[in-house]
Amino acid sequence: MHGAGSMTAMANFPPVDGSTEPHEPEDDAARPAAGADQSDLELVRRVQRGERGAFDLLVLKYQHKVVKLVARMLRDPAEAEDVAQEAFVKAYRAIGSFRGDSAFYTWLYRIAVNTARNTMASRQRRPLDYEADLSESEQSAVESRMRHGDTPEAVALSDEIHRTVNDAIGALPEDLRTAIILREVEGLSYEEIAEAMDCPVGTVRSRIFRAREAIDRSLKPLLD
Amino acid sequence: MRSAVAAAALLIAALGAPLAEAGDRSAGEWLEQMTRALASLNYDGLFTHTAGNRSETMRIVHRYEDGRSMERLVSLDGSGREIVRTPEEIHFYMPDRRVVLVEQRSDEGSLLRTLPKPGPQLDAVYTLSVQKGTKLLGREVRILDIRPRDDYRYGYRLWLDEKSAMPLRSEVVNGAGVAVEAIHFTRLDVRDRINSRELEPAVDAAGFQWMRAPRRLDARVAAAGDWRPRKMPPGFRLVATRVHPMPNSPMKMTHLVFSDGVATVSVFIEPGNAAGPTPPESTSVGSANAFSTQVSGFVVTAVGEVPQATVRDIATSVAPAEAQPAPAQPPKDH
Amino acid sequence: MTDQIREQMSALLDGELPPGEVSLLVRRMARDAELKRAFGSYVLAGETLRAPGGRVASRGFAARVAAAIEISEGVVGPVAADEAPVVAPRRWWRPAAATAVAASAALAAVLLVRPDGDSGQQFAQRSGAPAAAPVMTMPVVGGASLTPAQSQRLAGYLVVHGQYASPIGRRNAWSNALATDPGIARVNVENPEAR
Repeated sequence: MHGAGSMTAMANFPPVDGSTEPHEPEDDAARPAAGADQSDLELVRRVQRGERGAFDLLVLKYQHKVVKLVARMLRDPAEAEDVAQEAFVKAYRAIGSFRGDSAFYTWLYRIAVNTARNTMASRQRRPLDYEADLSESEQSAVESRMRHGDTPEAVALSDEIHRTVNDAIGALPEDLRTAIILREVEGLSYEEIAEAMDCPVGTVRSRIFRAREAIDRSLKPLLD
Repeated sequence: MRSAVAAAALLIAALGAPLAEAGDRSAGEWLEQMTRALASLNYDGLFTHTAGNRSETMRIVHRYEDGRSMERLVSLDGSGREIVRTPEEIHFYMPDRRVVLVEQRSDEGSLLRTLPKPGPQLDAVYTLSVQKGTKLLGREVRILDIRPRDDYRYGYRLWLDEKSAMPLRSEVVNGAGVAVEAIHFTRLDVRDRINSRELEPAVDAAGFQWMRAPRRLDARVAAAGDWRPRKMPPGFRLVATRVHPMPNSPMKMTHLVFSDGVATVSVFIEPGNAAGPTPPESTSVGSANAFSTQVSGFVVTAVGEVPQATVRDIATSVAPAEAQPAPAQPPKDH
Repeated sequence: MTDQIREQMSALLDGELPPGEVSLLVRRMARDAELKRAFGSYVLAGETLRAPGGRVASRGFAARVAAAIEISEGVVGPVAADEAPVVAPRRWWRPAAATAVAASAALAAVLLVRPDGDSGQQFAQRSGAPAAAPVMTMPVVGGASLTPAQSQRLAGYLVVHGQYASPIGRRNAWSNALATDPGIARVNVENPEAR
């Protein structure tokens, strides 16, 4: 049979170098513990079974990441929240199709990137230029957004939040401070932190909780 | 109903004899080889689909085994919709509408006539050319250009992998040279075999409304079954006629399929509303254009990968059989 | 006591809460605005630690998303504090028994919304789905997009048509049928090429 031999000997194409496929941004350094993916999957399952509250938690968990991501891509960062909101609504409506083949955030990330892209393209009101490589034009778009920066209010608020959190962390006892930094910045699991700090997992869990409570006490008046 | 294996053998045979080595293939041979690859290879890929100002990421899984082909196309962001083509049926999952549409799969014979087949008939309406391109996905490519000789149809630009002839990128181009639709693979694995699991839908369709044709079709009258468009662009031939049952009506919907070897246009004819005439309506998504109008109490809709003016001309020219001169060639009935 | 719940929330955020405890906690959190607020605070602390001075979502963002979802589901009016799923028909709370209602295939979708405005009410009532939106009358000058029912109709045509198209044509037709917001432009009948 003509060609049959060469067909079976066909090699796989190497994966693209990633420039056209969305990937995690560099500053999103927190590597989620394996359990976090599992916990997200639990929440998604609940959403799929009709527990809307579970989706609220996913929104709470990823709202900053998505807003930040979208703001980087849009010409006007002031509309980042509108577009981010649209992305979450899309994700909710499509939740039935999420199967857990990838992490939930990876799936959500793609939806957000696409929503932002479509928003940008629909503003320009002309067909995409296929002579330019798609990834190139997106990259330069990202760069010019960053030069424009955020709205003044957003910048002021995030500065103050940063200061407050910093001060609260600084005031923490050393063991609480270490625990939360290992978790949030280094992305270690409770097990790994327990090993690093030479204490039981239950203690790790308690320390992280108490650190968060202390930060919350400082943040709460700021955001009320 | 011919067996699937025999139909598949017919399909492969129709695609032509063994072709020359990649180096000295003509454009027509590249077109044939691409068509054969799309139909008979096993592959799993991710692509970006862009139409107008929208783009989506999609996954396609295609299996060809024991003379039967199966396919699954799924939207990876946004809608969560997917289409699964099983040996017998086509399932279109719409989670946002909580609906699954089920369509009987056409037998392979009629599909042969819409496959691109280089030759004088194709040359009459398109010019083909091929040139070497820069690498895509790390592979050597040839760029195949299919240029229409008139404005009734679109052109195509296809970046074919030299080794497998699979299109790694494809564009539909309008008369102004602007791409109105594009598919761009970001990953494409051609495999020895595809696991059945990859062809199962990701959508959990429990509680969805399933819409399917009844198994037993009683004898019903085809709506305007012998109506034909009086105006067709050069090169288009009627390649299939179908009827589909309709709810709440003794009549069936007539479906005519026309092809010029590259582009395909469907004409649907259904009974109109007794309440009054239907205003004409045009819609457009990517390279697909549709035009609906009312002719003597029937609603005629033309849909196809051709410009808006073409579907409009076709739909508005559909007329009852007695109003027409005898057709140039007898229609093929199924 | 509350501390115990909040500690569970903290563990949930890290993916370290035993699966058996998740369900009860999620239900509790859904009913309690203060718990949600505290959860949000824990999230914010982490984001700030990782990317100081970076853009964050403003207060009330999550609530706006929840409201937008309500609107998109067609639920109007106050939502009961008790989020038990009896309230309005949520999408995934319909009975599992599939209703194989229609007498035709993909074209049933086409025929649910016909250009004359006959929107297949019979189907809508039987399945409990909301009635199809009324069809817009022509001509409409540039840019107006189709109702969901109309795009479903076009998707139905594309699915059937796609079967008969060439492989590239089928891929395009079906990709368009799959797109959520296919960017369908309603073309002015007076000047069809103007886009």
